[in-house]
Amino acid sequence: MKKQYAFYIDAERCIGCFTCAMACKNQYHQPETVIWRQVYPIKAEIYPHRERAFYSLACNHCENPTCLNVCPVVAYSKREADGIVIHDQEKCIGCGNCIRSCPYGVPRYNPVLKKAEKCSFCWQRIDAGLKPQCVQSCPVEALQIVDLATFDKPDAVQYPPGFPKYPKLNPSVRFLVPRLPKIIGREDI
Amino acid sequence: MSNLELPLVFFTVLSQTAIGLVIISTLRQWAVDGPTGNIRGEWVTASGLIIAGMVASFFHLGHPLEGYTALKHLDKAWLSREVLGVSIFLGLTVLGMFMARDKISGPVAFGAAIVGLATILFMGMTYSPPSYPAINNVLPLVFFLMTALLLGTSFGSWFASPEKRIWLTRVLAVTLIVGLVVYLIVPCVWLSGGTVMAQTGWAWIGSPLYWARIIIGLVLPLAAVWMTRDVPAWLPAIILIGEIMGRMVFFKDTLHAAGNLGGLY
Amino acid sequence: MTESNNTLGTQVGKCPLSRRKFLKCLLAAGAVATMPCGLLRPMSSRAEEIVYEGGYEFFRNACPRNCYDTCSIKTSVKDGVIQFIEGATESTFTRGGLCVKGYGYTRRPYSPDRIKYPMVQEGRGTGNWKRVSWDEAMERISKKLLEIHDKDGTLLGLALSKYSGNFGITNYGVEGMMTSLGYTTRLTGTPCWPAGIDAQNFDMGDMWCNDPEDMVDARYIIAWGANPAWNSVHSVKYLYAARDRGAKIVVIDPILTQMAAKADEYWQVKTSADGALALGMARYILDNDLYDKDWVAANSIGFNAFAEYLKNNVTVAWAAKESGIPAESIVKVAQEFATAKPATIWIGYGLQRHVNGGATVRAIDALVAMTGNVGKTGGGARYGHLQTWGFNYHALLQKQPEGAKGVPGKAEVKGDFTFTSDDAAVDYSDRILNINKTAQVILDADDPPIRLLWVSCKNPFSQDFDRNKMLKAFEKLEMVVTVDQFFNQTVEMSDIVLPVTTLFEEWTINASYWHYWLSLNEQAIEPMYEAKSNIEIAAALSKKMNELRPGSCTFPTEIDTKEWMIKEFNQGVYDLFGIKSWEDLRNGPVKAKMHPASWVDLKFKTPSGKYEFKSELAEKWGHKALPEFKAPREKYDKYRLLTPHSKFGIHSQFINLDWSEEFNPKPFVYLHPKLAAEKSIDDGDTVRVSNTYGEVIITAKLSTVVPPDAIVMYEAWFKNNPYNVQNVVDDTSSDMGAFKTGQPGVAIHDQFADVAKV
Repeated sequence: MKKQYAFYIDAERCIGCFTCAMACKNQYHQPETVIWRQVYPIKAEIYPHRERAFYSLACNHCENPTCLNVCPVVAYSKREADGIVIHDQEKCIGCGNCIRSCPYGVPRYNPVLKKAEKCSFCWQRIDAGLKPQCVQSCPVEALQIVDLATFDKPDAVQYPPGFPKYPKLNPSVRFLVPRLPKIIGREDI
Repeated sequence: MSNLELPLVFFTVLSQTAIGLVIISTLRQWAVDGPTGNIRGEWVTASGLIIAGMVASFFHLGHPLEGYTALKHLDKAWLSREVLGVSIFLGLTVLGMFMARDKISGPVAFGAAIVGLATILFMGMTYSPPSYPAINNVLPLVFFLMTALLLGTSFGSWFASPEKRIWLTRVLAVTLIVGLVVYLIVPCVWLSGGTVMAQTGWAWIGSPLYWARIIIGLVLPLAAVWMTRDVPAWLPAIILIGEIMGRMVFFKDTLHAAGNLGGLY
Repeated sequence: MTESNNTLGTQVGKCPLSRRKFLKCLLAAGAVATMPCGLLRPMSSRAEEIVYEGGYEFFRNACPRNCYDTCSIKTSVKDGVIQFIEGATESTFTRGGLCVKGYGYTRRPYSPDRIKYPMVQEGRGTGNWKRVSWDEAMERISKKLLEIHDKDGTLLGLALSKYSGNFGITNYGVEGMMTSLGYTTRLTGTPCWPAGIDAQNFDMGDMWCNDPEDMVDARYIIAWGANPAWNSVHSVKYLYAARDRGAKIVVIDPILTQMAAKADEYWQVKTSADGALALGMARYILDNDLYDKDWVAANSIGFNAFAEYLKNNVTVAWAAKESGIPAESIVKVAQEFATAKPATIWIGYGLQRHVNGGATVRAIDALVAMTGNVGKTGGGARYGHLQTWGFNYHALLQKQPEGAKGVPGKAEVKGDFTFTSDDAAVDYSDRILNINKTAQVILDADDPPIRLLWVSCKNPFSQDFDRNKMLKAFEKLEMVVTVDQFFNQTVEMSDIVLPVTTLFEEWTINASYWHYWLSLNEQAIEPMYEAKSNIEIAAALSKKMNELRPGSCTFPTEIDTKEWMIKEFNQGVYDLFGIKSWEDLRNGPVKAKMHPASWVDLKFKTPSGKYEFKSELAEKWGHKALPEFKAPREKYDKYRLLTPHSKFGIHSQFINLDWSEEFNPKPFVYLHPKLAAEKSIDDGDTVRVSNTYGEVIITAKLSTVVPPDAIVMYEAWFKNNPYNVQNVVDDTSSDMGAFKTGQPGVAIHDQFADVAKV
């Protein structure tokens, strides 16, 4: 298999601190409403305690990205060497098709530039031998980057509950689902 | 993620009206016996509508002046194909408008009609991405075809010769019935689908605009056609209003998969 | 500006052929360079420009907030503008990353809401702000100060409200400024952690936690009333590492916090019953001979008395009844805790914000001590420390003007961050009042009353208690001067606001009260608009005072923040950190050369030199000598009200930033579904939380993470939002705090309220 960078989200380690989300904003200064990495709380129907488990999601750099397929001006390209999907803002005409079409809601409309934009996997940092800003910032190493060609964690899944399944896109993400502690409740109430 | 998208509402409705006009005009010209009617006026109207639709679409772009670059991805992107289709359709329709005498020449008329039909197909594919579970299927294509037929027949009535009005009325009536059935059934079917599809069903059913469009855009016209056995002159405007309302519901009440991230699908 | 680290910029490229040349070749070859515009926002992008190609200047900064983690920051500046920041990789604690609050610093100096100039408000609370020059602002304040002096004969009418808004050491220059003006009114004490400090001082003679990085060696970790997943995110990796090695993590908290969700076992304890719980565990450990007899015999006094107390007053069943935790769980964890070697307890600050907080901490300390875990790597009763704060306090130490009068006699100014003492005989002293009763003392102060309140590094309306009382108190004040960066709720009620610098705009030095690192804070950018640092403000005030009346203020009138930072260093600091000069810190933060285990030499600083289960000193201060159970506060309304910290902010800082609003736009009150059902409240309803002190109107979220008998709201300041939990919190004191910090603490979590749908 070709090298394919992916985000590995260890939702068991993740403490939902939003450091990754803000680290990205700190790096790219996106204007209001443009969020590249969002931390989604897992609803109580999946993890029984509200706002205590999270999926930190940015772009999934899919094997067969919808954004790339639907873009009328070929503003998206997928890097041969490592599978990172890059958006070229020079070409973008702000048609919004990628924004509407990505099932994970990844591309966002930048109202200042009037173009779409999305997580770039910090490819310039990658090329400079660094980690993406979000990955470096995570205080508990819950957010990591892996190469799917060699990734071999037996308890990791691609579609945990709360993350929609799109096998045709084949998102390059893997997750570890969060566990629950043993809970000793009060006997007096 | 689910916005009103007014430029797209007008782009799709107006361009589909133009295409519908051209298709119905062409069918009328060859499939039905009798004089062609005000064929020139019809194709002038269609040209005006397709131009208006295109102008509306530019309001959707962040950088409209670079809109022409949207033709670059024909090999993969349905949107590029749609832009191509609309452009060629525009060319042929304007050509037809200039060439129109008491009829339109066959190749131009059929060319425009076929290109128009293909364009509706491209639109149907463009507006059914996997991100909107309720419409990630043939439904947008069906909705768009109905728009084209409803508005093509009803506006066509302004230009058709009296001999062809019965045919026109029949086509309109059948389309109205089919439309009513489709638009009433589809949201109900969605209710038994996956989470986001069902949410979309509830959103449509709970939308006053949806019910207004059913009544104003389908029930009322059907009643009018039934009672008059003809297409009253005011009917196209009502149907147009209905289609615009329906397209608004299509954009704003159809829910995006990403809205449910973190929840069970 | 430093001539630092331009080399780092080119190091980042790492390939022999510079990236710029490489890409130029690609372009020449006709390849298309694709690059998202985003990195160069708001400037337009040019395809050849690569962000990591150098052209950055790097600076060292330190987060000066009241936070365990006190991160070491590496700031990247280009064209005099902060481009982005990262955590310093040299610190194993910070380890390259900051937090959701820290990363907001890239925005903070440039926030459009930032106060740019000195401003004067015509009518408090009206919003009629008028810009004035620094000269005029200083003149207004100076004239008022001289008026006070002439009227009262002292400057006791000038009071300072300051606490932990900025822990950069040079910011103690604010206290220094007060001293340099004369004898003034000081609000001393601390709302934060005083009960626990006293408790640890009674037990061990000082508050001194292990190096948090040694938690990896613990075999058992109890996070008791502490939520590091929200409040010390950098510590969590050590808990996880300990668990990877087989340790068990237990979290005891009334709320199922984020840390609780990551624990192995979570106990939903009844609020304020933690002391009973600890004593119950101690009783079990005692009965089953699981305590460390040798350690207790060699290193403590009073254990037999403690054992007697336990035998006569404490049973596991009683502890279970008081705390709500089932007896079999108490027994099991007590067994595990006592037999794990080493075991440690992280004692949180929320735990001791109760009328029995100090007693609770003493009981938990006892648990750790009797099992022999004090003085062991990976063990310890962790609370905090100030061992690395041995600076000169040059900024703090000023002299009163000649002839200054104050309160006759000598008063000892105590405080948690007071490191200096003046043994010289003095005729006069400052007036010392309780910071935890700010509103009340302003109302009560007389002869003279408090006329001018100077607020810096604090936000009384957001952080002090009983907001309605604070409003009344402010009516008494003749002038309020606030030094701040944003128009927060205290600034809204001030007469004059002075714009202060952010960490990037001044030089200072920072230590932590949790980890053992030292971080330099370099000035990375020019101060925005007319912002001045606290000591520059002091200098400006001194200049104007002396202009109007020579000799009225001794604070130097010309200062340089870099020089003043350097003046804080001494040989003790250099030796402790193994550095030759402060300049070594430019290469990154440095860790103290200390043994990771506090009290490793077992030489306690108590009167007996041993761990004191029985503390006569405690008795002298009005408490029980033994860590006995102290009853919780009686309910004064239907449900318990808890107002802990939000993960998105440090008190009233950060949450107001537009970047922060994107992830955390509004406050909520959290109600258990059972409680909500009782009150017919649905998820998303607007509700009124109210008690005898006031009310809060807020949106409800239903969640099982809060107990069914509590209302939970997180304290924070949201921009343009009157939300303020202090409306419903009173200023009742906690039991301890007066011994070491000068004033008793405050029972912030011993509040009660009712809730109803609006």
